[in-house]
Amino acid sequence: MASENGQESAEFGVVVHDVWRHFGSVPALSGVSISAPYGQVTALVGPNGAGKTTLLLILASLLRPDRGEVRVAGADPVADPFGVRSQMGWMPDSFGVYDQLTVYEYLGFFADAYRMKRASVPSRVAELLTLIHLSEFAYQPVHVLSRGQKQRLALARALIHRPRVLLLDEPASGLDPRSRVELRDILRGLAAEGAAVLVSSHILTELEEIADRVVLVDRGRTAGEHTMNELAAQARTAYRVRATDPAVLASALQSRGVQATGGNGTGTELPPMSEDEAADLLAGLVGGGVRVVAFEPLGSNLESVYMAMTEERR
Amino acid sequence: MNTPTPYGIWLVTRQEFRIRLRTGRWRWLLGGWVALLAIFTALLDLSVQTGYGFANDNARRGVPLFGILMLFVLGMVLVISPALTSQTINGDRERGTLATLQVTKLTPLEIALGKLLAGWGVGLVALALTLPFAGYAMANGGITIGRVAAVYGVVAILIGVVCAVSQALSALLARSITSALLSYLTVAALTIGTLISFALIAPLITEPHTQRDPDGYVYTYTVMRQDRVWWLLAPNPFVVVADAAPQVPPQITQRGDVVYVDDYDPLSMIGRGVRDLRRPPDYQYSSYTEQDRGEPVWPIGLAFNVLLGVGAVAVTAARLRTPSRRLSRGVRIA
Ligand SMILES: Nc1ncnc2c1ncn2[C@@H]1O[C@H](COP(=O)(O)OP(=O)(O)OP(=O)(O)O)[C@@H](O)[C@H]1O
Ligand SMILES: [Mg+2]
Repeated sequence: MASENGQESAEFGVVVHDVWRHFGSVPALSGVSISAPYGQVTALVGPNGAGKTTLLLILASLLRPDRGEVRVAGADPVADPFGVRSQMGWMPDSFGVYDQLTVYEYLGFFADAYRMKRASVPSRVAELLTLIHLSEFAYQPVHVLSRGQKQRLALARALIHRPRVLLLDEPASGLDPRSRVELRDILRGLAAEGAAVLVSSHILTELEEIADRVVLVDRGRTAGEHTMNELAAQARTAYRVRATDPAVLASALQSRGVQATGGNGTGTELPPMSEDEAADLLAGLVGGGVRVVAFEPLGSNLESVYMAMTEERR
Repeated sequence: MNTPTPYGIWLVTRQEFRIRLRTGRWRWLLGGWVALLAIFTALLDLSVQTGYGFANDNARRGVPLFGILMLFVLGMVLVISPALTSQTINGDRERGTLATLQVTKLTPLEIALGKLLAGWGVGLVALALTLPFAGYAMANGGITIGRVAAVYGVVAILIGVVCAVSQALSALLARSITSALLSYLTVAALTIGTLISFALIAPLITEPHTQRDPDGYVYTYTVMRQDRVWWLLAPNPFVVVADAAPQVPPQITQRGDVVYVDDYDPLSMIGRGVRDLRRPPDYQYSSYTEQDRGEPVWPIGLAFNVLLGVGAVAVTAARLRTPSRRLSRGVRIA
């Protein structure tokens, strides 16, 4: 546990152990445990109402857990919120901006509020505006920005004081495809510089590209904690295969006891299998003389794990 | 725990001011306020000269002018002040800008005081705009600088108190409509509520009083003991302001047996009125000409209001403290 083990809190930007929180009679978190190491992007995934936002609020030192242990950048958000805040950046899922301020004033105000050295503020703001591609809007009022641009501004706000722990609640919602790719690059860059990044999102395919690790939460509990590599090895996904001669392919599949689940002009769909099984099958097909032109997983590993987790709910 | 600093407070105040200046139609509102004051003062000046017969006492015409003007100004700022802060906290929460402020290194007290000073500052600007009209009253004679300073000082503090209470309500209540409504009810409680409660309670506090005639006849009657409940009126802002102003002695004229006491000044009249309530029923007024001013009421009333304001700031800061345990019903932090 974090408090007993200095080693662990030095490695992990976020450590959550057995945290509970309820709102009135509604339980939001029921013993969730997660961790987010420095230098990595950790994805927080779960269905609506799973408690992701609640958990991030607790980590952001805004909400008090009923019980359980929390460490953010080595500090306890309840006992030492200001210790947490100087090291933590938080981007909420829904937020407002001061519409009347200019973009520059907006970021400048938060730089001041984080008590950054006055001399360092202009260069830091300029740097962030370049990062989020809003430099040309520096002296425009915030209300002229589009939703996605405001989203990027909120990211810059969360980054202004160079936090070592970054908490992002659905940062990609409302972003255009290019901005999403850029967000991915920004987050990967921050992790490469050593930050612990915890990001919640529902866009699984995208998380798969951003995240090193994924924590699944369901009904306020941790439902799984995996590295992306582990997932790829474990997950059983459906595959699609295409060969120059569909008839040869079909008989080869039949002889190996693989039941095709469907198919169309782009190929034959195969039932879920692990990576090893898929590799074996492909090697067998090619070795058996089938001229395979495409063999690809359908959907993402993360998606299949997520679907399996939420299966029993329905 | 970080300690609040003047710099942190100033950061919040500057921010709030910037936002307020760029949202509202301040020029129009302040212009309208000055126009209202100008019309009021002009009409008042005319009516004091003609209708109330002060034309012959030009040396002291400033006294009623100033007194009535100040009661009007106080009434108006009491109406304006709740609007300045009654949505600062829950409005920010509704707009989703409060939580981002709370995760910075600004402390709850810095946020509370910074926002309060911004609202109070606007109220003080409105008050400052009335100064030229007070100056006009001064030019009409009978008013000292000390009197103007006392009245303006107390009004300025009372604006702050109303702003602080309204802000506390906006921190306590989730919806800005409710907090605005309750802020106005608070002002009503201080002004009308104190009067009503005094009027209803004073007649209940009675006792038999025995009096002996010079010819030895003893009779008993019931007297009201206002001297036990006078403090019900003390928090009233009008009482505090009026009594804090140095009293102007009334004009005493005697025609035969009849003594005419003319109060030029509504402020002194209110002040004398509440001070007289503090006296026991058998108090012997030696003479109206005597400089017997009675025990002042305003220090108690002002102390009550200041405590109310300080308490309100403490409540606001407590409600802004995070991580928070309880959330108001229906509030999501973000
Ligand atoms: N302020 C609140 N008052 C009452 N209930 C709340 C409050 N905040 C959250 N909840 C409840 O707690 C549970 C978890 O909510 P939370 O917002 O953390 O979910 P989430 O995982 O972020 O969902 P989504 O994916 O839809 O954003 C839900 O059942 C929600 O109704
Ligand atoms: Mg959420």
